[in-house]
Amino acid sequence: MPILRAIRRQVDRFKLRDREFRFLFDRDPGDALVALDCETTGLDPWVDEIVSIAAIKIRGNRICTSERLEILVQPTTELEDENVKVHRLRPIDLAGGLPMEEALRTLLRFVGSRTLVGYYLEFDVAMLDKYMLEFLGISLPNRCIEVSGLYYDKVVRRDRGRYIDLRFATIAEALDLPALSQHDAFNDALMAAMMYVKLTQGGPKERPLETFVERPPGLG
Amino acid sequence: MPKEFRFYNPPFDRLTAEERATFTAALDIVFLKAGETVIPPGAQPDQFYVVIKGLVQERDGREVVAIRGPEDSFDSHSLVHGPHGHAFVVEEEALCYAVPRPIVLDLIRANPGFGAFFYLEISRKLDALALQAEQRQLNALMTARVSDALLHPPSIIDGDATIEQAGHRMRDLNTNTMLVRKVGDEADGAIGIVTGMNLSKAVILNRRPLDTLVQEASHFDLVTVRPNDFIFSALLLMTRHDKRRLVVQDGDTFLGILDEIDVLGFLSSNSHVVADRIERAANLDDLHAAAAEINRIVETMHHQGVKVRLINELVAELSRKLFARLYAFVAPESLAGQACLIAMGSQGRAEQSLRTDQDNGVILRQPVDPEDLQVLRDRFAGTLLEFGYPPCPGKISIDNPLWSKPLAAYRDDFRNWVRTPDKDAPMNVAIFYDAVAVAGEADLVHEAKHALFDLARGNSAFHAHFARAIDSFVTPLGLFHNLVVGKGERRDALDLKKGGIFPIVHGVRSLALEKELEETNTTERILRLGDLNLFERSFANDLIEAYHFMLELQLKSKLAGRHKGLPPDTLVRPDDLTTLERDLLRDALYVVKLFRELVRHHFRLNVF
Repeated sequence: MPILRAIRRQVDRFKLRDREFRFLFDRDPGDALVALDCETTGLDPWVDEIVSIAAIKIRGNRICTSERLEILVQPTTELEDENVKVHRLRPIDLAGGLPMEEALRTLLRFVGSRTLVGYYLEFDVAMLDKYMLEFLGISLPNRCIEVSGLYYDKVVRRDRGRYIDLRFATIAEALDLPALSQHDAFNDALMAAMMYVKLTQGGPKERPLETFVERPPGLG
Repeated sequence: MPKEFRFYNPPFDRLTAEERATFTAALDIVFLKAGETVIPPGAQPDQFYVVIKGLVQERDGREVVAIRGPEDSFDSHSLVHGPHGHAFVVEEEALCYAVPRPIVLDLIRANPGFGAFFYLEISRKLDALALQAEQRQLNALMTARVSDALLHPPSIIDGDATIEQAGHRMRDLNTNTMLVRKVGDEADGAIGIVTGMNLSKAVILNRRPLDTLVQEASHFDLVTVRPNDFIFSALLLMTRHDKRRLVVQDGDTFLGILDEIDVLGFLSSNSHVVADRIERAANLDDLHAAAAEINRIVETMHHQGVKVRLINELVAELSRKLFARLYAFVAPESLAGQACLIAMGSQGRAEQSLRTDQDNGVILRQPVDPEDLQVLRDRFAGTLLEFGYPPCPGKISIDNPLWSKPLAAYRDDFRNWVRTPDKDAPMNVAIFYDAVAVAGEADLVHEAKHALFDLARGNSAFHAHFARAIDSFVTPLGLFHNLVVGKGERRDALDLKKGGIFPIVHGVRSLALEKELEETNTTERILRLGDLNLFERSFANDLIEAYHFMLELQLKSKLAGRHKGLPPDTLVRPDDLTTLERDLLRDALYVVKLFRELVRHHFRLNVF
């Protein structure tokens, strides 16, 4: 896979339409990671659209909410009512947003060549890639870290016999994170950032992470 | 989550919308591992932290002086005053908001109300709380109802009585206002009102004869209110109609007369009314009724935001009046000029808000007829019990021969307590040293106390032994830990009396006894000790503020407990405290810690 990825990077570098974004292929500066979340009109990357994007830098144990990016995106089609109920962004809220191309460019400038962090990041990246291909001719080249994967590696795998439950709420509770209202791009990105920081910085070695999950639910 | 920052929490509730936006924009979130040192001692942190989850210890050397839990912040001291020796170490892994120091400093400069929180002196923080208290006073006015105020029972006189008869009736009933039922052909049965002033005016200013009918001196344009009306609407009615009295009426029934002075008195508490009732009590039943009022007053005053020191002084004043009056009723004649009724312990120090126990005794000039003495003991203690004063668990009351005997016998006891102390001796000395005269021959108390001073003078072993009790209870900051994290029935509570109030009271008492002060009140003793240069004036102020703050919390908790029907205790539950109160309590307990060290050092407790 790394070989395939390396080849794809080289091909993409060649295919990149806008030379301003060559920085996407620079070395990761390593100064920060970026937690990312998108809210969309639905779950099908082929038909649905992005309505909002949030990105927050993570520097070591610090989640830099003071350095954050929050973008609302102007939809190109009519929003469906059911959908509005989920992310609570009404057409009128989005009217003042950026056109998708502008939103994407702003996001890329913020992220640069840094590593992305997210929950079910695959989906957000697939959504973004749709627009990447449309506007820049390439897919998102950044390295991605999936927090549910980290959680699986660090917690679930050590505890055999445990159900594999990688739901967002389950992870948040197991890691004893404060409850935030979900389906808000900023809050979801922040939760992903907290999961990442806690899973990577959490507790000294002699105090394994299992201690978090052994607490009876609800005590958190 | 910065979107969900809890701005309702003091001091952040004092930020304006614009300042909140500035603050929110600058918030980061940090994750701190257990055991990590967030701020090393002597360092100038560039961040101010507010805990979201987890626990952070504040340490002075190896000693934990405070614990910060959710919604607490740190470190306000180094933020404003620069680095100090305390370190901040993560006890349980924590998520915290972090704000750059310059942002907070800008807000402190721009917003004095917000800034007050960060100053070190507890007294300045309390000023910030005072604003809340004013609010509470206003609320009392807005929410109290006419039925909450003291009403004068209605007495009705027929309109064809003479003003002379009316005057006598007023004196007999001990009232200044009566309702008058109009008699005559027209408007028969109409109700009016007459006051002592109306009668005097009729006779003196209008030269009316004494057999004038009372209805001719009365007013029949009554203004009435219902018991459910608000006090403030009653006050408005009085102003609007230029009346000093309103008649309280429920349907056709007259419930009583509401006097302007009682409405005003209600606002500044209706203590004078109770004092008056005690003075005027013609028998034990009257006195019993007045005694029942005392606790009600405490509650009203507390809700009105009256400072606990004033409440305590007032309650002490009322209780002493009550005891003196009761003593006058029950003391046998043979004791006249021979005895002094004393209030001891917290009664004597005037530091009992809700009456708790009896704490009284008697000093006799010389031995008296044992039968008469027994009559006094039984009647006095028995009646107080009927009035709802529970017997003192330590049997510190007049019916205990230990606390009702001739001066010479007290002197013998003092000698034993000072020279060959047993385990009860320090407590007995403490109780007696706090005594004040309530009724009878006050010089006996004075003489007894000086006998005690003479015996103890220069006896440093005795003084050290006496002071040692300040260390009888574990350090409260350890308890404070449980207070933050505990989940059990009592584990989440701090015993404020043992952990904070007692060490101050007893430490101050020890110093005062050594200096032979005659004051009994702890606050007054602290001020006098300050005058004697035992400590700095600023420390005296902090000690007083810390002490009063804890008394305030204790009263609040006792009143709350009483409403829930819980047995009275001295525990304070952190969940019932606001963040600002928790922070102040931490500061207060820190003052207690410093004071304990001062007392230990003064009496060389580490040596003896």
